Amino acid sequence: MNVNDLKIKMIELFSDSFMYSTELNGNELYIEADSGNIRDLCLQVNSNLGFPLVSMFANDERQLNGNFAVYYVFADRENSLALILKILINPENPIFPSVSDKLYAAAAYEREIHDMFGITPLNHPGLDRIVFHGNWPEGLYPLRKDYDRSYKPPFDKLETRFSKVEGEGIYEIPVGPVHAGIIEPGHFRFSVAGEPIINLEAQLSYVHKGIEKLSEDESIEKCFYISERISGDETFSNSLAFCQAVERAAGVKIPERAEFSRVVFAEIERLTSHLGDLGGICTDVAYGFAAYQFQMLRAWTYNLADQLCGMRFLRSVNKPGGLRKDFIEGKQKVIAEYTEKIKKELIDTVDIIKSKSMFVDRVENTGILKNEIAVDLNAVGPAGRASGIRHDVRKDFPYAAYGKLEFNVPEHGNGDVNCRMNVKIEECFEAISLIQQATEIMPEGKICESIGDIVPYRFALGMTESPRGENVHWIMTGKNNTVFRYKIRTPSFCNWPALCHAVKGNIVPDFPLINKSFNLSYAGNDL
Amino acid sequence: MFRTIGKIIKYPRLTLKYPAKPMDSRFFIGKPEIDQSKCNNCGECISRCPSSAFKTDTGSGISIDLNRCLFCSLCEDVCKAGAICMTDKFELASRNIKSQTNPPFIVEDRNLPQTDFEQIGLKIKNKINRIFGRSLQIREVDAGSCNGCDYEITAVNNPINDIERFGIHFVASPRHADMLLVTGTASRNMELALIKTYNATPDPKLVVAVGACACSGGIFRDSYATRNGINTIVPVDVYIPGCPPRPQAILYGILKAIERL
Ligand code: SF4
Ligand code: SF4
Repeated sequence: MNVNDLKIKMIELFSDSFMYSTELNGNELYIEADSGNIRDLCLQVNSNLGFPLVSMFANDERQLNGNFAVYYVFADRENSLALILKILINPENPIFPSVSDKLYAAAAYEREIHDMFGITPLNHPGLDRIVFHGNWPEGLYPLRKDYDRSYKPPFDKLETRFSKVEGEGIYEIPVGPVHAGIIEPGHFRFSVAGEPIINLEAQLSYVHKGIEKLSEDESIEKCFYISERISGDETFSNSLAFCQAVERAAGVKIPERAEFSRVVFAEIERLTSHLGDLGGICTDVAYGFAAYQFQMLRAWTYNLADQLCGMRFLRSVNKPGGLRKDFIEGKQKVIAEYTEKIKKELIDTVDIIKSKSMFVDRVENTGILKNEIAVDLNAVGPAGRASGIRHDVRKDFPYAAYGKLEFNVPEHGNGDVNCRMNVKIEECFEAISLIQQATEIMPEGKICESIGDIVPYRFALGMTESPRGENVHWIMTGKNNTVFRYKIRTPSFCNWPALCHAVKGNIVPDFPLINKSFNLSYAGNDL
Repeated sequence: MFRTIGKIIKYPRLTLKYPAKPMDSRFFIGKPEIDQSKCNNCGECISRCPSSAFKTDTGSGISIDLNRCLFCSLCEDVCKAGAICMTDKFELASRNIKSQTNPPFIVEDRNLPQTDFEQIGLKIKNKINRIFGRSLQIREVDAGSCNGCDYEITAVNNPINDIERFGIHFVASPRHADMLLVTGTASRNMELALIKTYNATPDPKLVVAVGACACSGGIFRDSYATRNGINTIVPVDVYIPGCPPRPQAILYGILKAIERL
């Protein structure tokens, strides 16, 4: 099925509920609907067609058409298509119908829209603040275009509500925002009875920096550097998603050599991240030897990155249109040596940890994320794959050179720490093989294409599979190669609610372990 | 079991000799330097720098505020006159925020002599002994970073860099700490937590700002939700530029902070 077939199908099914449609960038179908019909339409698309909601955001289009707009992005993962529904909202009466009571994945997005734009989703089941804490005054909406981005309002003292579990012997454990380890800030409220956790509520957004607002009206070049700094350990995949969105909006095809090089760097990043997580899991079960092994392996991948581009975090490697330099040329031998060395050591280490029954005992059946919940919340990446959602953007929406390379997507279904760990272990080996394949068959040639001038108000999606999972960025260009709106949806945003479900029924001392097996980014969630 | 022992024998020591021996920094990207004799004042770097790190008001041509610099290499790429080049200097920590604006032509020497590291080590140990009693305890606070700096601080702790060999430990509570290692711009939602953490740390205490964000707000300057650096909230003793600074740069910064006490 291509985008035209999807359009025909949509017209057949819902012809009466939409006003206008357009196909863009090869696989994106935009349909504008009436806000009276949108609830029905979303639920139908989700349940009848089976497309998950992968992103949802608002946009202040008052300068363009006098209205606010809300976009719902659905993904047809089987056919590599994106279906984007759009409604316009009258600024005089900024409300729209909520879909969260049926489409659970929408809940967090709707709260975000409410916080940032002051557009109210009617009948939302729990419309608490998500981005702002009690210190933010009511009635100020920073993503509206008339909000001055450097205006820091005075501190307010509003109360934050947490869900309460009551009963005999039930108590609360508040943790954070400053935690015991070297880790990002977040506040957790555990309701526990004895040891088992009954409920966990996470208050995040401690590191909210206003990235989306900072990107607006900035040059595409500057936004690129911002995109690299969304989440430190996902530098490359975030900047890649941004670059892809820009390249699609500009209609530029990047040189083949750049495509293959991007695979190399994206996989180095995945390897680094996964090895860190594996080390973290071992640390949290107090298995020091294995933790050090993984930390050593991780240090080797950092060294490899360092030798290729001088930046351990792969910053300033990407560039809209390709890569900043040909970093691979002349370094093939280094890559081959490092990957072989890492592979060998990884095989041994994995062998050792898997033969330790005490270790396996801790990880098996701990922190189970059930498949139904994972599907409802659109859990992505290794966490989703461990719970039987066998999807991967690299296969579903092939980008860079992934379509030309061979790799497997791991399949697991138990959804516990063990599965998530195994997914990551298997992906490490796939990553190594991808790096080797890509360096081997990489053609010679140019490394970067010029982006040129992009027509104002074009928009496009950029999707990548970051180490933590599906990453969806959307940009709308402005005048003079600037960015009008940049919506970032990182995998952590989808997986945080999933984590809160996975810990239920487990004992408090297992929380760090479960948390580490997800290893979510606070910065990527809070923006 | 045997295989575990085998590995331990195979990798007896991973820790780098730094700072006793300098790092092999050939491929590092460190601070940018400007050659004023080549600069033709076209202003390209000033307008393109994503972090607005260039300063023109120093009287003698343009200079770069290292506290803001992201080490992104863009200025090197866009300078048509070839006046800017990225060096491999990464040991950039300094006590004074002013001194980070490196005046043209002055190339900073390595402040740590490489040869008699042992002596400096002894001195530091003595200092630590005198002031803090036996060892230095550090509490890390993320006050709104992108997590890049935090991962590099974790790396300071890994077997490769192993900061514990200097008697420096990371502790779980600010009440046990002598030094706060702060990353991030000080986001609105972390302000209170940062102040509370600072107040909870017993005197005498040191505060080290890690990364462009903590030094100046970095790329996230002037947003509704951020401060321009943590020194707007708490007094800072040492600034470590970089985005993120490499583990060795952080290590160097910490050592420098104690040395200056
Ligand atoms: S390296 Fe980047 S951030 Fe630093 S001065 Fe040059 S352009 Fe600005
Ligand atoms: S200085 Fe750079 S690496 Fe460090 S937190 Fe800020 S953006 Fe991230």
